[in-house]
Amino acid sequence: MQIFIQQLVNSLSVASVTILIGIGITLIFGLAGIVNFAHGEFLMVGGMITWFLVNSGVNFFVALAGAMIFVGALGFVAERGLFRFTLDRPMNGFIMSIGLSVILQHLVIRVFNEVQKTIPDPVGKVWLIGGVDVIAMRAIVVGLTAVVVAITYFGISRSRYGMALRASIADPDTAALMGIPVRRYVTGVFVYGSVLAGLGGALMIALFPITPFTGSVVIIRGFAVSLIGGLGNVGGAVVGGLILGLVDGLSAGYGLPEWTDAYALVVMIVILIVRPQGLLGGTLGPRATG
Amino acid sequence: MRNLIWSATLATGALVALSTHLVRADEELKIGVVAAESGSFVSAGNTIVAAANLATKQINEAGGIKIGGKTYKIKLYIRDNRTDVNVTIAAARELVDDIGVKAIWGTETHDFSVSMAKITAAAKVLQFSGNSSLGAVLDDKSVAPGGWLHYTFQTEPQEWQRSGSTAKGVLTLLTPLMPHPPKHSIVFVGNDATGQYLSSHYVKALEAEGQQVDLVKYPPDTTDFSPLLTRIKGMNPDIVHFWYNGDSTLTAFPQALKLDVAPAYFLFGVDPGIYQERQLKSDKPVALSCVPVCWGAAPNPAVQDYFKKYFELGAAKGPQSSVSLLYYDYFFMYAKALEEVGSLDNPDAVVDAILKMKYQGVVSPVPLTFNPHHQVTFATEVSAVQPGTSDQFKAAVEQPPAAPPPGDPGG
Repeated sequence: MQIFIQQLVNSLSVASVTILIGIGITLIFGLAGIVNFAHGEFLMVGGMITWFLVNSGVNFFVALAGAMIFVGALGFVAERGLFRFTLDRPMNGFIMSIGLSVILQHLVIRVFNEVQKTIPDPVGKVWLIGGVDVIAMRAIVVGLTAVVVAITYFGISRSRYGMALRASIADPDTAALMGIPVRRYVTGVFVYGSVLAGLGGALMIALFPITPFTGSVVIIRGFAVSLIGGLGNVGGAVVGGLILGLVDGLSAGYGLPEWTDAYALVVMIVILIVRPQGLLGGTLGPRATG
Repeated sequence: MRNLIWSATLATGALVALSTHLVRADEELKIGVVAAESGSFVSAGNTIVAAANLATKQINEAGGIKIGGKTYKIKLYIRDNRTDVNVTIAAARELVDDIGVKAIWGTETHDFSVSMAKITAAAKVLQFSGNSSLGAVLDDKSVAPGGWLHYTFQTEPQEWQRSGSTAKGVLTLLTPLMPHPPKHSIVFVGNDATGQYLSSHYVKALEAEGQQVDLVKYPPDTTDFSPLLTRIKGMNPDIVHFWYNGDSTLTAFPQALKLDVAPAYFLFGVDPGIYQERQLKSDKPVALSCVPVCWGAAPNPAVQDYFKKYFELGAAKGPQSSVSLLYYDYFFMYAKALEEVGSLDNPDAVVDAILKMKYQGVVSPVPLTFNPHHQVTFATEVSAVQPGTSDQFKAAVEQPPAAPPPGDPGG
C-alpha cells in the first residue's frame, strides 16, 4: 500500500512540470494560433539560465525569476522577429519553430557546452509522511504550479484583459474594430507562455539535470497535454497533465516499465479519437489572425 | 636598372620555390574523423575529436611518421555526423572518395560504424570504432581478407569482457562495505539497442558472480525516474546497478537516494570527477565505473598525464570524457604499423602489422593487442566512494575473465 501511495505522490510531481509546459503551449497554440515547437527549447534555456545564475552564486529563487524574465524576453524577440510574419500561415510558423529549436540547442552548446547541467537541490529535504517519501522540492513545484494555474485561469476567465483576449480569439476583426489591439494580445500571450517555459525550466533543473536536448523530449508531452485537455483551455491542460502523470506513475509501477511513454501516448490517441476537441473543449488551434 | 629588377625578382622566385619545396618535405597523411559534434550524441562525439586532436598534435610535434624514407605529418579531416546516420554515410563517402583518407576514426554508435564500414572496406581504408557491440558482426568470415570488416578494428573490449571485469570490480568493492553479502541485484538500463545489447551481457556476468538478477528497463529519454525507482524499491534489491548511460544515471541516481531505493548502488559510466564536481553524497555504499578508465581518479600516472593534456586542449570535463581513451592509443598503433610496413599504399599489410602488434598504450597497463576478430582487450576501472563523502575513492581494476560466462554467447 505504501508503494501505491508513493506512486500517487510521484504522479503528482510528474504532472506538475508537464502542466506548466502544457499551459504555455495551450495558450500559444490555442489562443495565439502559433505552433511553437521551440517551446521545449525555451524551457531548456530557462533551465540553463538558472544553472548559470546559481553557479554564479545567485539564490535559486532569484535565479528562477531571472530565467522567467530572460525567456520572456526571448519570447518577445521570437514573436516580434519571427512568428509575427507567419500568423497568416501557421504551417510556416511551425516549420520555422523547428528550425528555431535546433538553433537554440546549438547556441546553448556553443555558449555553455554540451555537458549535462545540474544544480544542488535548493531545499534538500525529504519528509517521511506515513511511510511515504515526500521530496520537499517536488512539493514546492506542485505548489508553484497550483499558483500559476490559478493566476492564469482567473486572468483569462475573469480579468478585463482575459475577456479582451477571448474576444480576439472568437472574432479578431470585430475585436479590432472595438479597439482591442489584437496583435499586441498575441504578443502578450506568446510572452506569457514563454515566461511559463522559463519557470518550467528553472523548476525542472531543480529536480533533474538538463541537457541542450531536454526541450525536444518534453515538447511532445506538452503538446499531448494541451490537446488532451482542449487547446487554449487552462483547466484542460491541468486535467491533461494529471492524466498523463497518473498514467506515467502507475504504468511505471505496475505495467511494463519500458513502455511508460507509450501508455501515456496511447491514452492521448484514444482521447483525441473519442473527443477531438479535447476533454474540456477548446479552440480550433492555428488560424489566421487578422 | 631593369636587369637588376629582373634579377631580384628571379632570386625572390627561387627563394619562394625553395622554401615551398622545403615545407613540402613533410608529406601529409590524411586521416578522417567522423563524430557527433552536434545532435544528441555530442558529448561522446566531442571526445573522439578531442582525442584525435591530441594524438595528432603529439605525433606531429614529435616529428611525424617516417614511412619509406619520407616523413609524414597527420592532417585530420573532421566531419560532424550530426548524430544522423545519413550524414555519417555522406561524410564517410566524402572522406574516402573525395579527400582520399587512409583511415577513419569513429563513430560513437554501432549502427553508424557499421554503415561506414561498408564504405571504408570497399576502399581499403582502415576504420577504428569504439563500439563493443561490433562484436555481434566481427567474425571469422567478416574479418577475413575480402570480408566487409577486414579493415575495421573494434577499439573497445568485447562486451562480455567489459561486463565481467566490471561486475567483479563492483562486487569486490561493495561487498565489504555492506552489512551482508549482496545476493539480489537489479540492473536498471535504458531500453534502446545499445542498452539491450550491453545489459544482456552484464546480467550474465553478475549471475556468474552468484547474483540473482532482475532487469528493469526504462524509456531512453526518461527524466523523472521516481515511479520506476519506487517500483524497484518494492523489489527489495541489495544493489541497484545503473547501467550504460552516464547522463541518465546522473539524472536517476539523486532521485534514488531521496527515495532510499537500495542499500547500495553502482553507477556505470559516471566518472569520480563528475561525482565530486556535483557534490553527490550517499550514506550508502556507491561504486562508479568509467568507459574505460576515470579522469577523476586516474589509476596510474600515464592516465593522469593523458587527461591533463586532454583537458589542456580545451575539452570539456564530462561524464563521457574517458570515452576519448577508446580512440587515442590507436593513432600511435596505426602510425607504428605504417612505419613497420613502410608504405601508405598497402592497407592489407598494415592490418596484418596491427594484428601482430603489442603496444603499450595509456588505456591499459597491459600492452594492447587485437584478437583475430579485430577486437582489443583491456580492463574497466571501478571505484568505490567512501560513504558520506564526495571525493574519497578507492579504485579496483579487475582483469576481464578468460571466457564468456555460462549463457553468454560471447561476441
